[in-house]
Amino acid sequence: MKLNRRNFLKASALTGLFAAGATQTKPVLNAFSTKAQASEENKPQGEWIASVCQGCTAWCAVQIYRIDGRATKVRGNPNAKANHGHSCVRSHIGLQQVYDPDRVKQPMKRTNPKKGRDEDPKFVPISWEEAMDTIADKIIELRENNETHKFSVWRGRYTALNGILYGAMPKIIGSPNNVSHSSICAESEKFGRYYTERYWGYADYDHENTYYEIFWGGDPISSNRQVPHTASIWGDLKSRAKLACIDPRFSTTAAKSDEWLPVIPGEDGALATAIAHVLLTEELWYKPFVGDFKDGVNRFEVGKTVNEDDFEEIQTHGVVKWWNLALKDATPEWASERAGIPAEQIYRVARDFGRAAPKCISFSSPGSSMVVRGGYTAMAQAALNGLVGSADNEGGVICGGESCPVNDFPEFESYIDSIAEQGNSMERIDHGGRLEFPALKDSKSGGVKLTNTVADAILNQDPYDLKVVLSYWTNFNFSNQGTERWDEALAKIPFMVHMTVNPAEQTHFADIVLPVPHSMFERLSPVRGSNGNLHTHLHMQNKVIESPFDIKVDETEIPWMIGEALEKKGFSNLIDYFRNEFADPETGKSPENEEEFNEIATKMYTQPLWDLSYEKEGDKINGWEELKEIGTWNSIPYRFRQKWDGNWGTETGQFEFYSETLKAALQEHADKHNATIDEVMEAAMQTERGEMAFVPHYEPAYRVGDDEKDKYPFIFSEHRSKLNREARSANTSWYQEFKDVDPGDEAWDDVVKINPKDAKELRIQNGDNVKLTTPTGTITVKAKLWEGTRPGVVSKCYGQGHWAYGHIASLDRKKQIARGGNNNTILAPVHEAMSGSGARHGGQTRVRVEKV
Amino acid sequence: MTNKNYAMTIDLQSCIGCSSCAVVCKNENNTDTGMNWMHFIKNESGTFPNVSYEYIPALCNHCDNAPCVKACPVTAMYKDENGLTLHDADKCIGCKACMASCPYGVISYNKKDPHDYWSQQESWSELSATPAEVQEKSGAKLPYYNPERDYNYEAIRYRGIVEKCQLCDHRLARDEQPYCVTRCPSEAMYVGDLNDPDDKIHQILSDDHKTLKDELGTKPKVFYVRNFK
Repeated sequence: MKLNRRNFLKASALTGLFAAGATQTKPVLNAFSTKAQASEENKPQGEWIASVCQGCTAWCAVQIYRIDGRATKVRGNPNAKANHGHSCVRSHIGLQQVYDPDRVKQPMKRTNPKKGRDEDPKFVPISWEEAMDTIADKIIELRENNETHKFSVWRGRYTALNGILYGAMPKIIGSPNNVSHSSICAESEKFGRYYTERYWGYADYDHENTYYEIFWGGDPISSNRQVPHTASIWGDLKSRAKLACIDPRFSTTAAKSDEWLPVIPGEDGALATAIAHVLLTEELWYKPFVGDFKDGVNRFEVGKTVNEDDFEEIQTHGVVKWWNLALKDATPEWASERAGIPAEQIYRVARDFGRAAPKCISFSSPGSSMVVRGGYTAMAQAALNGLVGSADNEGGVICGGESCPVNDFPEFESYIDSIAEQGNSMERIDHGGRLEFPALKDSKSGGVKLTNTVADAILNQDPYDLKVVLSYWTNFNFSNQGTERWDEALAKIPFMVHMTVNPAEQTHFADIVLPVPHSMFERLSPVRGSNGNLHTHLHMQNKVIESPFDIKVDETEIPWMIGEALEKKGFSNLIDYFRNEFADPETGKSPENEEEFNEIATKMYTQPLWDLSYEKEGDKINGWEELKEIGTWNSIPYRFRQKWDGNWGTETGQFEFYSETLKAALQEHADKHNATIDEVMEAAMQTERGEMAFVPHYEPAYRVGDDEKDKYPFIFSEHRSKLNREARSANTSWYQEFKDVDPGDEAWDDVVKINPKDAKELRIQNGDNVKLTTPTGTITVKAKLWEGTRPGVVSKCYGQGHWAYGHIASLDRKKQIARGGNNNTILAPVHEAMSGSGARHGGQTRVRVEKV
Repeated sequence: MTNKNYAMTIDLQSCIGCSSCAVVCKNENNTDTGMNWMHFIKNESGTFPNVSYEYIPALCNHCDNAPCVKACPVTAMYKDENGLTLHDADKCIGCKACMASCPYGVISYNKKDPHDYWSQQESWSELSATPAEVQEKSGAKLPYYNPERDYNYEAIRYRGIVEKCQLCDHRLARDEQPYCVTRCPSEAMYVGDLNDPDDKIHQILSDDHKTLKDELGTKPKVFYVRNFK
């Protein structure tokens, strides 16, 4: 071996000299190990271990390259058919997250009883035992006072094991208040598909066989959905299909599309209905799906009502009603005035889209529906797939997918005692299902639990206050609109436990802080995402490395330990449920400690997939060990047209343009409140009345500050980043170093993008500090002059503005100075009430821009 | 064994402008913050709503007529037998003549020893660990350190020398594509042997392609195929 610097260093690395913090410049020569020998021989030194990336909701199967117990690389799991070996840029950033020294290192407790943004929590280390004992005391106190409903579990991102901490535990303690972040994610998009074809979930798309795609706020090569798969076929897709991107911001997808329609934020519904109008007036609807006029003569003419009896539908219900109610006057000229898009471009997109029928896709995404009145917009987008017959069809949209059988967790009803039963029967904290919040998931009034209303509930003690909160994988005073309300609400909670990877803004208000695993590297758990590339699947997270931090798994190990602590204090129902009902499916052995509990729960949940005796259509996996090793189970590819011919699941059994399903759900919600549907529409901030409530229709954008346009002259529009791991990656250097990969953005910064014409009037130049003020709040960030946003609309990426997240994301911990500004500080706490969603998009607030 | 003549193709139509190549390059080659062997050029033009955007992954062009090789006084920059433009850290004296001569700005200089962050003994908060603690527990100078880079180049460079893309010559030597190519989610990149008539690179280059600043006579070996839009 050549004795050069490299070999000296190799030797010193092996002796652990680096770990002792010695410099590199004086290496010590020592014997070479087999690893060094491997370097000599240029051989791979690690092994790929299966896991799952949860950096967005695609939940891709990945593999981690482990060398000497360290996680060193990430790639897509080649066994997974949804992403077939590909993973996006976000997956790699996970490496810097898991080894982030700023993470919570061990359990901590607050010693300053005062809570507030300005109060130093004065955290001190405690043992896991003390933490569990304290938590158990607080729960026992609630039970003794018959106020277990004031116990709440808050869930952010999660794995399939959430059924234990989030599902069973609050019920056994006695609370209806398990609050999820789902309502601030994408529920309004699901509303659109549910009330046309009764599917509440994410859609899959047959990109490989399509000829036209309309992306509604969609940026599928950057963020949701199924980014690695979409990326992998993008070059071919562009060659084969025409692409239209409807987005106020010039995204990378917009840049690579044939058409960019920079819609005025929140006015997408005008475009969707106008496209439907053109498809009907120009006889471009797909007749084998929708049907035709009985005499074959098209009567869809601008402004003219059509007789329902003249049309015979095949797969659909209510096309003529929809036309008469919402489409006959929705011309591209009409839409142009609202959406700010030239009429000829709307015609062109509608015609090209219709000519590609049925192999064309209307691709919904939260950007155009997580909007105050966006539920009906999502419905219109979904209905377009009905008009062109691409719903449940090749080259189109899949809502559902093949079966991926898993087990439910064991029943826990018999562990609910009378105290818990009383608590469980109390009104929910979140206001979902109130007159003004129909939140109609699965046709149920209050079917969605609202997230952002919880702050109001706490502040107003409406319906009551919360006393003990266990919160995991959350950062609610960062991720919800109207963050200052959350700071105040969190300060009012007497006892909050934050289970978190990084110290976060929410941690600042915690009484106990518990370090938990980074899910991609440090825990064993099943993850059941939605389908991709026509396959349904379940992926496995493995405990790839021993964590450098003193962690416990939030969803299983911590509830087990709380259960043990509660048992010592005389309440054993929780631990009894775990001990009695969970058993290893192979040996029958009950769990004896938290780690065994985690593994047994995972094994039970996934048994149908690894046990060959279960019948299923998909991969054959022989045993538990094999599932962990392969890391994924894939269904057979989707068999199209399963829903056709009466199997749509709606009230009529058809694909509904006139939604009898929504009518029934709205009626039930109205009846609950002794109100009319019109009264519901009014309370839910919708402008239309009557039968319009049952069809996809245009609703004008709602903006906070519209009544003070002089004071707030601009529309504020937010968007996502390619690098955001759901706002958890800003404390990594790779995120900051490449932040300018988002068009218009800058590395190591967080800019507001302003059209140069507006900037000129405001005398603002690139790099100036500007104050953004809305009726809700103020942030100060740098200005960036950018042609990718229209005059009158300022655009800013979400993800930064962390004032307590780590040394990169936050510039000054003591002074709580963030790198950039959090959009949610200036976004208003408003909702898309029909679906119960937090509405962050659609230019929901007006803003003033001032140079500082 | 006959020598190879390596060249890279980057299909800009497939490229999604995500910077995966740049991020995974840091991962494979253990580069510190600010030291990027792979980066990108962004071109934005036009006025709203007629705007265009182009993203071009940018790395060492492994020029056949490499100015850095000519500029280097100590033959630390050299052309190897397979057409790669490589850097020998042992010979490098850190004079930066290569950097001054490179028209692509893809060579970086180590002003300090890389990754010194990881030896810091102070934690960011009372809840946090120190970088040194995480370093010690992981057992490597850089917790996600890739030792495989060590086969034929300094796996982590040091103060006073330059560094740049070696086209993952350690991976090519074991018949693997460079790491940026392997991890590109849109399969936009490829490294092939121009000397091999059966190599698929000839097929790829039958599409429209260009190189960067070829008017300078550097004879770049990174070919950009089709257009980003």
